[in-house]
Amino acid sequence: MSHVRFVFPKIRLTEILKTPGGLAVADALERAEAGLATLKPRCLKELANLLADAEAVFADLGPAFNDGGLADLYAVAVRGIGAGAVCGCPGVDEALTSLCDLIDHLRTSGRYDAEAVGVHLRAWRLLMAPGLSQDDARPVLDGLRKVSAHYA
Amino acid sequence: MSLDATSRARFNLERAAVLLLDATPLGMSILVQIVTGLGAKTLYRCATVEQAREVALNYEIDLAIVDGMAPTGEGYDFVRWLRTEAREPNCYTPVLITTAHTPASDVVRARDCGGHIIIKKPIAPKVMLERILWVAREGRPFLFSGSYVGPDRRFRNDGPPDGVGRRREDLIAAQTAGQQAAAQQTAEAQACAPLPQPEVRQAS
Repeated sequence: MSHVRFVFPKIRLTEILKTPGGLAVADALERAEAGLATLKPRCLKELANLLADAEAVFADLGPAFNDGGLADLYAVAVRGIGAGAVCGCPGVDEALTSLCDLIDHLRTSGRYDAEAVGVHLRAWRLLMAPGLSQDDARPVLDGLRKVSAHYA
Repeated sequence: MSLDATSRARFNLERAAVLLLDATPLGMSILVQIVTGLGAKTLYRCATVEQAREVALNYEIDLAIVDGMAPTGEGYDFVRWLRTEAREPNCYTPVLITTAHTPASDVVRARDCGGHIIIKKPIAPKVMLERILWVAREGRPFLFSGSYVGPDRRFRNDGPPDGVGRRREDLIAAQTAGQQAAAQQTAEAQACAPLPQPEVRQAS
């Protein structure tokens, strides 16, 4: 029979947050958004570099199931998640999440579908195109979700 | 947990010591911009679990924001280490776990490592602030239960499922009540049963 012990620790953060001074919620969020905006050029460059890396890994995958190659592709894709929202192309984050889901499903089941992976990479490039609206991106993302869900 | 983004309510993170763990330089930069924007001034930026352990052993941490570090999931291991090996008060430090993606094989590891809450990337500043205020306000108990050490993760106490406790007496009582209810339903059904329909045959 397992023994359960409860402890009620005093959390210093609770007191710190209440100390006089600080920031208003609205001002703090504005400052944080402004800080993120300074990262936009770097995020775009990083995403472009990651896309080039992902395409290179994909080109080397070959037609058969290659667990190591898929792991490499996953490692590249997962690094990009989060950058899309900062650089104004949030669809990229969704596409990369779908790609990571797909790779996870493929590796779990020991299968490979080059078309399913390839369409995600092509979509990644498309979703980084300047001026692409959210409405234009939506059908693309819905399609990617269907592809990755097919292997779930 | 929803926060009004236009609120003039004030909070103060200036004196908080915040440990950040993220292996990717861009991920770290994003975290730094968010947390400094929210007013934190003392940041320990760690790119590896070893650096994070070193900080946790030598400094008092008020908040830890730890990336799961997919695909290795080393971030979860750090949180588990923090809960089980670090000294007080750091072993009780509120921990927000960030994750870009959690592979199916890591879901249990992420759930049971002892973090307060998991935030999916991309992270919006508003979401980060909501979670920080939430972990600080709750004052939830810590559990030491077998292999799990960490905050009590129940959002609210609704009692046992379907009102049935887990003790043997509770189960017996529930079974007895169920049998009595079934017997009563059968008796009522028999009492209200319609008269048998007359057999109808086609005349030849």
